[in-house]
Amino acid sequence: MEKATERQKILLRHLNPIPSSSSSSINHEPSLLSSVNCVAELSPMAAFGDDIVIVAAYRTAICKAKRGGFKDTRPDDLLASVLKAVVERTSLDPSEVGDIVVGTVIAPGSQRAMECRVAAYFAGFPDSVPIRTVNRQCSSGLQAVADIAASIRAGYYDIGIGAGVESMSTDHIPGGGFNSTNPRAQDFPGARDCLLPMGITSENVAERFGVTREEQDMAAVESHKRAAAAIASGKLKDEIVPVATKIVDPETKAEKAIVVSVDDGVRPNSNMADLAKLKTVFKPDGSTTAGNASQISDGAGAVLLMKRSLAMKKGLPILGVFRSFAVTGVDPAVMGVGPAYAIPAAAKLAGLNISDIDLFEINEAFASQYVYCCKKLELDMEKVNVNGGAIAFGHPLGATGARCVATLLNEMKRRGKDCRYGVISMCIGTGMGAAAVFERGDSADYLSNARVANGNGH
Amino acid sequence: MPVFKAPFNGYSVKFSPFYESRLAVATAQNFGILGNGRIHVLELAPGAPGVTESVAYDTADAVYDVCWSESHDSVLVAAIGDGSVKIYDTALPAPSNPVRSFQEHAREVHSVDYNPTRRDSFLTASWDDTVKLWAFDRPASIRTFKEHAYCVYQAVWNPKHGDVFASASGDCTLRIWDVREPGSTMIIPAHDFEILSCDWNKYDDCILATSSVDKTIKVWDVRSYRVPLAVLNGHGYAVRKVKFSPHRRSLIASCSYDMTVCLWDYMVEDALVGLMASTGWDELVYVWQQGMDPRAS
Repeated sequence: MEKATERQKILLRHLNPIPSSSSSSINHEPSLLSSVNCVAELSPMAAFGDDIVIVAAYRTAICKAKRGGFKDTRPDDLLASVLKAVVERTSLDPSEVGDIVVGTVIAPGSQRAMECRVAAYFAGFPDSVPIRTVNRQCSSGLQAVADIAASIRAGYYDIGIGAGVESMSTDHIPGGGFNSTNPRAQDFPGARDCLLPMGITSENVAERFGVTREEQDMAAVESHKRAAAAIASGKLKDEIVPVATKIVDPETKAEKAIVVSVDDGVRPNSNMADLAKLKTVFKPDGSTTAGNASQISDGAGAVLLMKRSLAMKKGLPILGVFRSFAVTGVDPAVMGVGPAYAIPAAAKLAGLNISDIDLFEINEAFASQYVYCCKKLELDMEKVNVNGGAIAFGHPLGATGARCVATLLNEMKRRGKDCRYGVISMCIGTGMGAAAVFERGDSADYLSNARVANGNGH
Repeated sequence: MPVFKAPFNGYSVKFSPFYESRLAVATAQNFGILGNGRIHVLELAPGAPGVTESVAYDTADAVYDVCWSESHDSVLVAAIGDGSVKIYDTALPAPSNPVRSFQEHAREVHSVDYNPTRRDSFLTASWDDTVKLWAFDRPASIRTFKEHAYCVYQAVWNPKHGDVFASASGDCTLRIWDVREPGSTMIIPAHDFEILSCDWNKYDDCILATSSVDKTIKVWDVRSYRVPLAVLNGHGYAVRKVKFSPHRRSLIASCSYDMTVCLWDYMVEDALVGLMASTGWDELVYVWQQGMDPRAS
């Protein structure tokens, strides 16, 4: 790329010569640089000031709904803790944030949006910083990050926070799924299938694509094993923001002040024998159990994004680069296949092959769909959910996307040069899949950013 | 009028010294800034379309110049943007080409010229500020001439004296060299801006023309080099290439960023015979009689 810019400069100097003293060395000309940018577009993966980068990503611990550490924590307190963390830990002036988008799913729309604004005040944001919510079901957290990236690129503002929060202790999915009061939905197979409980879609995937109970239980065991190892090794400390909150004893009603900083859904002793004993929940002769499905949980996450040029000006470390985002629609009856479609789409947008991706965070909504997607895309399981997934941690719906950013980027940073590109993906209830490609933060290298060409010349 | 449409932007076109209906064309993608290159060997034939491609060679980087060998009728030498100099033999099948690739220049090679008198060596001029002298049978360059302070755009042999050549550089000087001497024998600060091209008069071995970013062409006599013999104004932008006609002693052809090909006579004389060929960034190669419009069909 340097070479092309140099050539362009030389040619432009033929047309716009600098009156020379006879020894002219190659000087930098500000007027030439604007025409240099058109050459830059030829290589989308090189490092440029316009890249949208993540300078901070934090999450709360994820706790079991109704029984875990956050069962008595209000969602606005949960959100406030991560919003505060991204701003405090980067020493950013909160008033510089242009917008905050919060992914959140089950709570009534307007009320949750109001709670988010309240949370922003708790976190120390002034009146001038706006906030909104976004709901694309399970992908809301990732969608929030993508929306911020898109807005920064569109020039609406320079700094944004993509966040997610879900308190499934407070808000529950109605048992058996949602009910639509519109009878017309029954006339459209797709519309009718949107109303299916998620567990039924899991059974559909297992049946249609032949994912056995054993495969699902094995995936669950692996998830717990990896998660337990990650917690034990202290890996997750970098991304978790401890939250000081209270917990109320269900019998005595006594309140106790606690600090929650560990994911409490993980069962380190999970094994095949115990899982095999569990009854199937959604279909009598099915394969989806409470043990091989994601847990219902509380949690929040937040990601701070800005342009690379601004991050460098502020001296902020670059944790990751936001490269692409894709969301696709799939058959609602087997909504779990979403990642199998969204991941190739996102990779293509980033100019990559799936084989170029070094690390994956694929939401384990259900082991059936998780196993299917990994098989369909022929992924190396050593690169997927290396620190465990939603079966072990839990799936606080709106927060999952944002918390995956924290987990993925921190793991990519740990892995160093071997790990350049990562993908976060999840299936979405009502039949969609979302995926985003990230690049490791410190991997910008002007010379070696070019991809290897396949023998084109002699 | 024969017209050839190349897929890439044209950089240089040369008639073969052996076959009057054969041409070599150097082309590059994206105006030579980024991408591949291709060398076309064209044949003129009577009837439509007038010019056909007999072979083409793809290169990984832009081809900035091409020249025919004076010793072998099927051999041509190409100057490539990645700093390499490649030799092609059209008599050999395509997979054996290029027969040689010399990678010595540190930057783009902008011109290549074959020695017409000695016929055993050729010069390359590069943006790494050097001119190199080569022979086919040597694996490495014979000499490197390093004096210019900026890109050397062209190095041309004197048509009569096999040891003398001239070089045109972006450091605004024209230098005359003798390969028997250690350094340049003459330094002419010919223009106030970059000199993009130079060529010797084929009939008078002491006269050369230079073309420059200052939009002029100057004609020089090395015996009295302080003042040019003629200054030819008329081009609207930098003059990219200048060539003396082999048919008429005072006829000069030039091409420029102003999208024109101009013919100049710095003395006055009568009409001439002969074909001209030109190629440009519009991806076309024109071959035409002087006095006619090549775009007329």
